This record gives sequence, structure tokens and C-alpha cells, in this order.
Amino acid sequence: MWHITKRELYNNLNSLRFALTTVLLLALMITNAVRHIREHPKRVQKYHDAVVESMNRLTAIADASLYDLAQKGPGDLYKKPSVLHFCAEGGETLLPDRINGGGLGSVQFWSLAYPDANINMMNVGPDISQIDWAFIIGYILSLIALIFTFDAISGEREHGTLRLTLANAIPRRTVLIGKFLGALISTTIPFMLAVLVNLLMLSTASAIHLNTQAWGRLGIILLIALLYTCLFLGLGLLVSARVQRSAVSLVILLLTWVTVVVFMPSTLASLASGFSSSMSRDEYWDRYGQSDRKFRHENHVWARAKGLDERTLRKRGEFFTIMAANKEHLNEGFLTSKITQVQRARASTSISPATLLQHLLEAFAGTGLDRHQQFIENVQRYAREYREFVVDMDRGDPESRHIMGVREGMSQKPVNPEAVPKFEDTFNIGKDFNTAATKLLLLSLFVVVLLAGAYLAFVRVEI
Amino acid sequence: MCLTLIRRELLANLMTFRFLVAMVVTLSLVVANTVVLIADYERRLISYDTAVKQHYQKFLKRASTYSEVEGEILVDRPPNPLSIFNAGLDRRLGNSITASHTFVPTLWDTRSHSADNPFLNLFSSVDLVLIFQVILSLLALLFAHDAIAGEREAGTLRLTMANSVSRPIILLAKYISAMACLILPVVMSLLLALILFSVSGSISLSGDDWFRISGILFTSIIYLSVFYLIGLLISVVTRRTATALMLSMVIWSTLVLIYPSLSVFTVNRLWQTPSQLEAAYREIEQIWEAFEREQTDFLRNDSVDGEDPNFNVPPSGSYGAYQISDPITLKYFKVETRLWTRIDPDSEPQIPHVKDYFQFSEPRRIRAAEKTWQVRQKTLDHVYVRKANVAKNLMRLSPASMYDFATEAWAGTDFYGIENFITTVQQYRQTIIDYFYDKKAFSSRKWFSIDQGKVDWSDLPQFSYHRADVSTNVKHASGNIACLFLINVALFMTTFLIFVRQEV
Repeated sequence: MWHITKRELYNNLNSLRFALTTVLLLALMITNAVRHIREHPKRVQKYHDAVVESMNRLTAIADASLYDLAQKGPGDLYKKPSVLHFCAEGGETLLPDRINGGGLGSVQFWSLAYPDANINMMNVGPDISQIDWAFIIGYILSLIALIFTFDAISGEREHGTLRLTLANAIPRRTVLIGKFLGALISTTIPFMLAVLVNLLMLSTASAIHLNTQAWGRLGIILLIALLYTCLFLGLGLLVSARVQRSAVSLVILLLTWVTVVVFMPSTLASLASGFSSSMSRDEYWDRYGQSDRKFRHENHVWARAKGLDERTLRKRGEFFTIMAANKEHLNEGFLTSKITQVQRARASTSISPATLLQHLLEAFAGTGLDRHQQFIENVQRYAREYREFVVDMDRGDPESRHIMGVREGMSQKPVNPEAVPKFEDTFNIGKDFNTAATKLLLLSLFVVVLLAGAYLAFVRVEI
Repeated sequence: MCLTLIRRELLANLMTFRFLVAMVVTLSLVVANTVVLIADYERRLISYDTAVKQHYQKFLKRASTYSEVEGEILVDRPPNPLSIFNAGLDRRLGNSITASHTFVPTLWDTRSHSADNPFLNLFSSVDLVLIFQVILSLLALLFAHDAIAGEREAGTLRLTMANSVSRPIILLAKYISAMACLILPVVMSLLLALILFSVSGSISLSGDDWFRISGILFTSIIYLSVFYLIGLLISVVTRRTATALMLSMVIWSTLVLIYPSLSVFTVNRLWQTPSQLEAAYREIEQIWEAFEREQTDFLRNDSVDGEDPNFNVPPSGSYGAYQISDPITLKYFKVETRLWTRIDPDSEPQIPHVKDYFQFSEPRRIRAAEKTWQVRQKTLDHVYVRKANVAKNLMRLSPASMYDFATEAWAGTDFYGIENFITTVQQYRQTIIDYFYDKKAFSSRKWFSIDQGKVDWSDLPQFSYHRADVSTNVKHASGNIACLFLINVALFMTTFLIFVRQEV
């Protein structure tokens, strides 16, 4: 078997396709690294500036009084850019990078407001896919895997060398495994070379710090890439074993590739997004207006009530807190309805291995929609923490009347800014792994099915 | 002799399994995508229709005085049925925009319809042209790579030449027959798509649209010819079929998949956003400051005491004076709206002053808006459009991008198609202003008060948009088509010269 693997390997290494693929992959990976080195520090800088500004605001409010802290809220909360952004871009330009958590005016309470996806209206240029690892692996590496296997069996059959090989007492299984390993190694070599150059460039760049966790995730991403390559190698061997001529095998493989990789993801997404619809902006504003008007109508006396007795204050406090909670609830519902529609469409595209790869890479790189949802959850958890902190602090102040929602009912003392909970967006790999596990299983299933298919086809085929 | 050769080649290409597979895959992709795209188009059409209705109802409900018209006239861009062929910017850019006298709308002030879910832009879009661009170019290369090299390997090329056939004829015969084979799936796809169009019933194509579709067909043929000739050139140059195949694959993936992304990346890297935005923003601020000075001067010099925004009339109803500004898109304008529900008889002597004030200020506001637009248009073009154009020009080195741009121009979903809509909106704004002048709205009592009834909007001119006529499409597509044609000629000449001098 090693003999066959070695023979295949030598054959491939000396071929033109090996040289061409190496050049192609190197060029792409270098571009990818250059882009990341240039853009990542800017992203990080922007994030840090924004966070510092947000912190300064929070400190200023905390210095004023607890009531201000409770009324004005934590301000804008930012999503931390992923250091592995170069692995999968994941539509990060489209997804908003913040959630607003600030109060309006001087009495209304703060609530979380989720910004819409930012469509770049300024971009009138051509719409082009980003050169990230997801593109390089998903499109180019899979194509290369097919190019290395399309004639693995049919080519030898045409030349008659397959008969010669089988004339020796070698079981067919061994021949197939040998060919598979040979092709796997010869596709992996240029890829790994390109990856090495890419990572070398990134790790030597002073502005980019890859920590242990990032390296671990990179390792998993490389394993996924390998699995994905195996899938296409299996497909190549299957078709190559079934088809008599290598020219035909190539045509079938390329057309399958185009369908599965280029067209299936977007066609299915567009089809599936038509099945469900999200809340429209007008509907949201209508609902919001209705509930707001109703609530205001029933309780408006309390909004302007000037009395300082317990009941008036309590009612006024309730008025402002319920208003804010209601606003936040509706806004969250609006966002959820939009994201659910997208998630449904995304789930339906999982039939295509190319999308599976895209989603897996996004999951491990910490970008994309799943990551955005994690960010939203982080923010919501923080918002609860922040509100609990305010209540606790208020309880701790003996002079306060403990009535939330109004200045007169709450603690007027300044708060130590250090004690106020700070928002830090964290990326939880464990949580990602849960969502990714099913997709990983599905991908493995594809690989097993295709390899088994190739095996069965090759064992039964007449030569 | 030539005919015999053509027939032989045609049969050799048509009767192959690869042709059958390619045909089946192309047609099934076309059918699947057309169905999805038609459904998508219908959805957008419904979203457009609802938006138009809602915007008009809201306008009637909200605008009771002339001044309240501000921000309430929303006009919508209908989806382009030809976006099924090439989506271009049709789905990506906003499709709703305000027309008002205080502001000249541009491409950068559009917003999306309320029913659209912007998160759906996470998915890349497909169109029919993409299928041709990716699959048929691949097929063209697959047809071509062994056209000469394969025959040379098999030895049949020598046999053919042993007959008294001149080499140009052989080349020509191969080209003609292969092109016939490539045109077949294109034509059949288009026919299938058109049948699906007529079945769906929601898409009505005008005579111009038929011309545009034939333009797309014509461009597709030229594009496929480029790829066939690239393959033929490789086939002539290389000795072995396997080498020819590998070279073709690499060239295909570079031209179709990689190069467009690479060139946009390079432009983004090299292109610094010019710092003109700030200067332009200051200039615009000055325009509006000058306008405000004029306003205060007028108030100071008129016969009424003080500069009360309510002209010493006891307030009733609503009053709004605000400014909208955005340094990134240079959006900047100031607005004053009024809705007085009743006017005391005591205040009646003030009313002529109020009328005078608006008659003075509103035409100046219009002028300020137009001055703003001039500064804005120039700067935004420089900052955003030029970058896109540089990227496009760089991308033009790939025939795949050229094909994309040309079909985009045919479909009218390119930048100029959207710009045409904006121009129409700007003209509509002018119509509204003319309507105001006709009605003497600025000096009318109904500009600010409804005490003598609301404004009757029944004769307000309605907005209607028609896509630009075919000559515009031709104008913008022709450059790319000419380029593709030239590439064709150059490739054919090179292949011809090499083949004629080559030893077989």
C-alpha cells in the first residue's frame, strides 16, 4: 500500500498541477495575510477607542449619582473583533458591531436597542467575495482535490496500468486506499505550505497576537479543512471509478462542484428565506406605537405628577421602568424575528458541504451570525447584571427610599466607578462547539458515505 | 470541405456524454434558479406595492399644511424584472427615498422598504448570468482544451491535414462547431427562463426588454467565445492534453473566481478615503449659516417686533424647526414645519407677516438645498464612485467581470440604472416645487395653518418611474462588449498564427 501511495505521490509532485496549485494557494494565502495584517489592528484600535469612550461615560455617570447610573444606562456596548477574522469573514461588515444601551432624555429609563444590519449604501462598487480561509478552502482547495483525483482510476484504466497493478496480488481495497492517501498528501502539501507562510506572516506581524486558544482553534480549523478535502477526494475517486473516461469524469466532477459549492448555498438560502417572513419595520413601529400609546394613555397622569408621596413616586417609577422594559422587549422581538428568518434559511443550506465548512469555520473563528447571537446574549446577561447591581446598591443606601425609576426615590450618592460591572465581550468556544458538533458530524457523514461509495464502486467495477 | 469538417466536429461535440451532462446541469440550475428568482422578484414587487400605498396614505394623513409635506413624500423604486438576469445593485441599494423642497436627494439617501430584512444580505445572490459566467465558461474550456492537442495526440490531426485542407479552415471549423454547441445551452436556458416568466404571469416584458434580453444573449455568446478561444490557444500551444487541461483549469479559476476579489482587495488597500469630506461638510454648513443669517435679517428688518418663531401669535398646534446632518454622507438640511390649528382674530394682523416670512425664506431654502447638492454631488462622486470605478476598471482585466458589467448594463441594474432613478426623483422634486409656486403655496395661509381647512392634495403630481430607454443600456454596455470583441479578435489571431506555423 505504501508503495502505491509513494508512487502516486511522486507522480503528483512532479506534475504541472502540483506546481500550479502551489502557486495559486500561496498567492491567495499571502493576500489573505497581508489583508489581515493591515486591517486587523485598525479594527482592534476602533474597538478599544469605543470601549474607552464608553467607560469614560460610565465613570462620569457613576460619579454623578446612582440614579444617573440607573437612568442613563451603560451606553453603547461593543462586539470584540475576532483575532481569527482572516479564517472566515462571515459577513462581519454587515452585522452591527454594537448594541445601544443608553437612556434618552433626562427622565426616561434606558433600554437595549438593537441596531439593524448595516447595509453599506456607500458601496456602489462590485460585490465580491472576500479572500478568507473559508473561500480558499471552500472553493479552491475543493477544486484542487477534484483535479488531483478525477483521473486517479479512470486515467489508469485508460492507460491499462490499472490492470498491471491488479495483476500483482494486491487487493483492490489497498489500491484505493493507496490512491486516496497519495492524493490526500499531495493536496495537503501545497495547502499546508501556503498555510505555513500565511501563519508565519501573521505571527511575525507585531500588531497581531495569537494566543494559545487561537492556535488551538486554528488547529481545529485545519482538521476541518482536511476533512473537507477528504470529502472531495472521496467524490473524485467515486466518479473516477464509475466512469470509463477521465475526460467525462472531469466534466461530471466540475459540474457537481459548481452546483454544490457555487450555486447550492445561495439558491437554497434564497428559496428558504421565502418560506418565512420577518416582522416589517412598519409593523414594528405600529406595535410599538400602539403599546406605548395605550400605556401612556392609562398612566400619563403619573409621568408628570409632581407629588413626593410614596404612592405617586412608586407609580411614576413604575411608569418609567415599564416603559423602558416594554420598549426593550419589542425591540428584541423585532430583532429575533429577523434573525430567525435568516437562521432558518441558513439551516436549510447545510445540505451543501461548502456551507457546512463556512459555518464551521465561522464557529471556530468567532465570526458570523452565530457569534453575533452570542454577543447579543452576552449583552443581555450584562444588562441583567447591571440592573441587579443598581438595585443592590440602592438597597445598600439607608437614605434612599428604594423606589426605582424616579430621582426622588433613589439613592443620590455617587457610586465608585470601579464597582460598576463592566461589559467585556467574551467568546465562548465551548458554546460554539455544541452548535458546531452537529455540523461536524454531518460533514463526517458525507465523507464516510462518499468514501464508502468510492470503495464499493471500485470493488465492483470491471476493469 | 469546410462543411464536412464542421459537421464532423459538431457531431463529435454533441454526441458526447460531457455535453449531455453539461446541458442537464445547466438547464436544471437555470430552472431552479429562475423559479427562486421569480419568487424573490414577486416578493419584492409586493413589498414595493405595499410601500407605495402606505407611503401615500401616510402622506395624506400627516401632511395637513403645505409646510408639513417635509419628509412625507416618499417615492419608491420598483424592482427591475431584468434583475433576474443580473441582480447588480438592484437588490443591494435602497429603494425608497424622500422628495422635498428642502433637500435634493442622492443615491446615498435611500433606505430599504420596511418589509425587507437587511440581515438576509448575509447570503450571496445568484442570477442567471452567474450560471452562464461560471458553468458555460468552464464548458467552453473543456470543449477547447483537447480540440487541437487531443487530435495531435491521437494522430488524427495529421490525417486531416493529409487531405488538402488548409489550416485556417480546420481552425475555423472547430471554432464554428464548438460555438454552435455552446450557444445551444444558452439559448435553451433563456427559452426555459422566458417560459417560466410567462407561466408566472407576474413579469411583464416590454418590447425594449426583449431587445435587452437579446443584448444579454449576444454578450453571452461573445463571452463564451473568449473562453473557447483561450482554451484553443492553450490547446495549440501545449503538446499534451493533460497539460492543456491543467492550464485551462488554473486560468479559469483565476479569471472567474480569484482575480475579481484580488483586484477589489488591491483597490481597497491602495485607495485612501480622501479627506475632502470634512472640507465639503464645512462648506455646506456655511451655506446653511448664510441662509439662516438671511432669515434673521429678514425677521429683524420686518415691521414686527422681536424674532419670535411664532410671530407673536399665541401657539396652537405644532411647530417644528430642526436640522438633519450626517458628516459621512454629507446630508445636511434645515426644516421648519408648522401646523396652527386655530388663529385668534386678535392675531389676524400678524398673518401677512407670517406669509411674507415664508415667501421670503422658502425659495431661499430651495436655493440653499441646491447649492448643498452641488457641493455634495461632486464630493461624494469623488469619494465613493471613483473608488468603485477604479475597482471596476481593474476588474475589467478579467473577461468574466467584463461580461458581468456588460449584462448589468443591459439589465439596467448597474450604477447608471440606479442613478437614472435618482435623477427621476430629482426631477419629481422640481415638479413639486413648481406645483408649490403654481399654488402660491409659500405665501399661502395653508403653508402653516389649517384654520381654514386642510390642503387639498388631489392635484399633486404623482411620481412615476420608467427605466431608461434602450439607448442608455447600449451606451453603457457597448464599452465592455467592444473590449470582449477585441479580446476575441486578438485571441483568434494569435491562435491562428501559432497554429499555421506550428509543426504537427
